[in-house]
Amino acid sequence: MATVAAVRAGTTPVEPAPERSRTLSRPGAGSGLVGVTLVVLVAAGGRPLLDDLLDRPAVANWATVFVALVVQAMPFLVLGVAVSAAVAAFVPPGVLPRLLPRRPALAVPVAATAGLVLPGCECGSVPIAGRLVDQGTPAPAALAFLLAAPAINPVVLVATAVAFPDDPQVVVARFLASFLAAIVVGLVWSRRTRRSGDDGIDRAAPAEGAGSRWEVLTATAQHDLLHAGGFLVVGAVVAATLQTVVPRDVVDAVADAGPLAFVALAALAVLMAVCSEADAFVAASLTQFSLTSRLVFMVVGPMVDVKLVALQAGTFGRSFALRFAPLTLLVATGSSAVVGWWLL
Amino acid sequence: MSPGGGTVTLLTGAVLLRLALTGTYQRYVRVGMGPVLVVAGVVLVALGLVVVARALRTGGTSAGAEADPDDDGDTGDAHSHDDHDRGHTPAVGWLLLAPIAALLLVAPPTLGSYGVDRAAAVDVRAGASDLPPLDPATGPVPLSLTELSQRALDHDGDTLEGVTVQLTGFVADETAPFRLARYQIACCAVDAAPVVVRIDGTVGDPPRRDAWVTVTGTFSSVGDDDIPTVVATTVTEIPTPDDPYE
Repeated sequence: MATVAAVRAGTTPVEPAPERSRTLSRPGAGSGLVGVTLVVLVAAGGRPLLDDLLDRPAVANWATVFVALVVQAMPFLVLGVAVSAAVAAFVPPGVLPRLLPRRPALAVPVAATAGLVLPGCECGSVPIAGRLVDQGTPAPAALAFLLAAPAINPVVLVATAVAFPDDPQVVVARFLASFLAAIVVGLVWSRRTRRSGDDGIDRAAPAEGAGSRWEVLTATAQHDLLHAGGFLVVGAVVAATLQTVVPRDVVDAVADAGPLAFVALAALAVLMAVCSEADAFVAASLTQFSLTSRLVFMVVGPMVDVKLVALQAGTFGRSFALRFAPLTLLVATGSSAVVGWWLL
Repeated sequence: MSPGGGTVTLLTGAVLLRLALTGTYQRYVRVGMGPVLVVAGVVLVALGLVVVARALRTGGTSAGAEADPDDDGDTGDAHSHDDHDRGHTPAVGWLLLAPIAALLLVAPPTLGSYGVDRAAAVDVRAGASDLPPLDPATGPVPLSLTELSQRALDHDGDTLEGVTVQLTGFVADETAPFRLARYQIACCAVDAAPVVVRIDGTVGDPPRRDAWVTVTGTFSSVGDDDIPTVVATTVTEIPTPDDPYE
């Protein structure tokens, strides 16, 4: 903790900003309720305006995609938040890290394998990985879990099999490429941590003198939910905007462009931010593209996309996300290219 | 914890419940998601109530057992001191009010024709399975656009020979001959992919673009772009179905 604090003190020398954000984000007893009421009233007053806007097809399309993304992610977010809060309340700090092998070379694959058992999509795994880190799990292992869980769980693999009924090898390829990418990123991060002595994660202060388990459970759930939910909204805005704005011709043009198609589908995965349980169906519909470039889409999507980066930035810090996302993107694209070349 | 943060949670849960119980959720996610949304909604409503009740009891100034003077709205006990340092301002949670407001007030419509030429079309061949013969004796046979396309592409549409079909979708063009379209979704409207059928043989312009219609007619041919054409005998405007996706 001391090193992290020192690093932080080094990067933020002056402290006026915290003061400001504290006052901004600190609605007193009543002001929170007033704020909510105000928003609802303003929105109600603006309803005719909203109705007018929704008469425009592009705006309606944007709004539907935006709302759909939030609604569809919400149950998974609730599941992830519930697991995360239960860990905070019922698992004493230090227990989870002790379950992992001490050596990073072993801990990373073990943590990635643990991703097999969490059914859900990527929104749920971010709060859980954040909790693992808070509990003292070494960052590389927690990150390997974060990347593997949404990509290799049974629900996602079954969805992939259903989406590619004629190409069962796609399921194997997806599993291998995702697993490989998660482990490689974990190991790279562990080397980086050993070299610099800083795992790049911006940690919160550990819990001190918290109340009863029930209080910890509800308070953590409440915090994680608003926090992750807010970043989910940011990501949904970006994804809906891109889906509404980028023209189809652009997509068709790059599909024929050889290796550029890899890059294009990786970019599409990042920008579309489809849930990992659905992305196989999207990939199946991208028939203009080769199987390998569609594999890139399915491996990159659960690991890096706009809403996920927003969530990660919120949970682990902005500077972390800025380094982690490009690394993951690179490794995920590379590993699916290799596995695709081998299997597909 | 302030009551405000709890209220956002409460509202989020209430909106999910409302979507699930009114069936409006089918505009956004696939039909089977209803029960899941109910569970998520109930959990959120309960959590919101607990948080609001506790905040009101303690005067909204402390978070449970830990009397934390700089409690900032919705921060849990676990992170009291340096949330702002993590880029972790829970103030971001207020953004949840945006989809809540949208859903409470206007509930965005089902996807319309705007995306038909933008989204990647469904590869109907991918899901084709056994196509049993149709029984035309009992009148027009209702078919999904997907099944019609599959049958049309299978053996030059042999199974559609002499059958009057009934199709439901929305109008995707301004003028005749128009295209009838409907989206397939796997998970939610984000992954929607259109299935399209050309409708020929109508007199005058179609009902307005984006109107939902039921078309009866017979299959004629498949175009170079793999889109089948149906010659219509009737085109009837209908209200948007409860289950708008295939």
